[in-house]
Amino acid sequence: MLHSEILPGEGIFPGCALKRGMSLFSLLVALTTGPLSLRADTPPKKIALSDFPAAAVQEVVVPVPSEIFAVLDKLGNPNWKAQLRDGKARTPEDRARTALLLGNVIAEGFVAVEAEDAERVKELGRQVLTLAEAINVRKSVIARSKSITDKADQRDWRGVRSEFDGALQDVRGAMDELNDQDLSQLVSLGGWLRGTEVLTSIIGKGFSKDGAELLHQPELVNYFDRCIGSMSARLRRNPLVAEIRDVLRKIGPLVNEGGDNITPEKVKTIHDLTRGVDQRIVNGGN
Amino acid sequence: MNATFPLPFRSALRSSLLAVILFSAAAPCLLRATVDDALSFAYEAALPYYKQGYSIRKDAWGGDLGVHDKKAVSSQLFKGNDYWFLMASDVKAASISVHIYDDKGNLVDADSWQKGRFAGARVSPKATGTYFAIVQILKSPEDRTPWALVYGYK
Repeated sequence: MLHSEILPGEGIFPGCALKRGMSLFSLLVALTTGPLSLRADTPPKKIALSDFPAAAVQEVVVPVPSEIFAVLDKLGNPNWKAQLRDGKARTPEDRARTALLLGNVIAEGFVAVEAEDAERVKELGRQVLTLAEAINVRKSVIARSKSITDKADQRDWRGVRSEFDGALQDVRGAMDELNDQDLSQLVSLGGWLRGTEVLTSIIGKGFSKDGAELLHQPELVNYFDRCIGSMSARLRRNPLVAEIRDVLRKIGPLVNEGGDNITPEKVKTIHDLTRGVDQRIVNGGN
Repeated sequence: MNATFPLPFRSALRSSLLAVILFSAAAPCLLRATVDDALSFAYEAALPYYKQGYSIRKDAWGGDLGVHDKKAVSSQLFKGNDYWFLMASDVKAASISVHIYDDKGNLVDADSWQKGRFAGARVSPKATGTYFAIVQILKSPEDRTPWALVYGYK
């Protein structure tokens, strides 16, 4: 109640400010008008989205990795240790690849958290710092990196997840401030690619419709494609970025027809595509 | 601009020009400040849900809208998660709303509330996919009303 107004979800009676000393009259008024004020706005049951001009539609909100991992938590207990990647990636010279790798490493951090591997989590926290330094945003993640180490030592896995989420958002925020929106998008894309690789691996090992449905992300895939399309010509010509765009265009139709239509074969195709490009992000080369 | 007594013409012109220049320079900062204020209110609206175990995203969306204007914020939501979208404005007398629609335009609010310059909508997606948070300024004394939207999930 920072601004002294009681809000729904807070206090003893959602939507109504019941304060000590309230008179019977004001209580009756509150009880009769309170619920009415909550219903004051009656939204239409159906709207035509086509009525919204492009300017009235904000670009798709990219989910943070923990939104997806929160669902995976509810789907069972896969073998997360088997999903962990070995070794430590070298910091690339290419800034685009560095940004992609940074997102990739942050996503890997989530896998290490699920595997409850404290040493790997700490190592990934240090890698985040090194990669952030290579693209001039080290300052934005120093505190996060330390918190990742501290919370991994305490085995505070929810806390570590929150720090990795925060690192992703801080890095992107710092890049936006440096007017490096293109690299900022590549960080998100790198995270999404690694997350999708892991997700398809898990779903592939124990296929379920509920699991496969998590891949129904057509607008997000289109959004990443549009992002690359609006990047500088130099970045669009970057072979790795071009390859990723090609991969996105192959994934798009596979996830476009509703969650029920994502078959084991499609899951495998998406896995192979993301795994291939993730290997290039980590190891370089063509 | 704040002068309440007549000034000689040239002096007034000079003052007016200076005021316009100063206002022009400060306007983006003022707008930014009010959107930031709206954001602080949106986080306030989110606080009770944070206490209920929702993770509140640090990212936020916002801008300014005229009365009755709507904006759609498209989001990728996942079946299995539960989401609260919280919207706020820093204009005290404003009335705002937020509701969630699926990609076919169907209202999918599981719950919603509206209280003056605060509003919230909950959705438990029945399917993973793209959803739209439709934000609207219902009434406001201002021509343009700053707003901010945050969401939490669990």
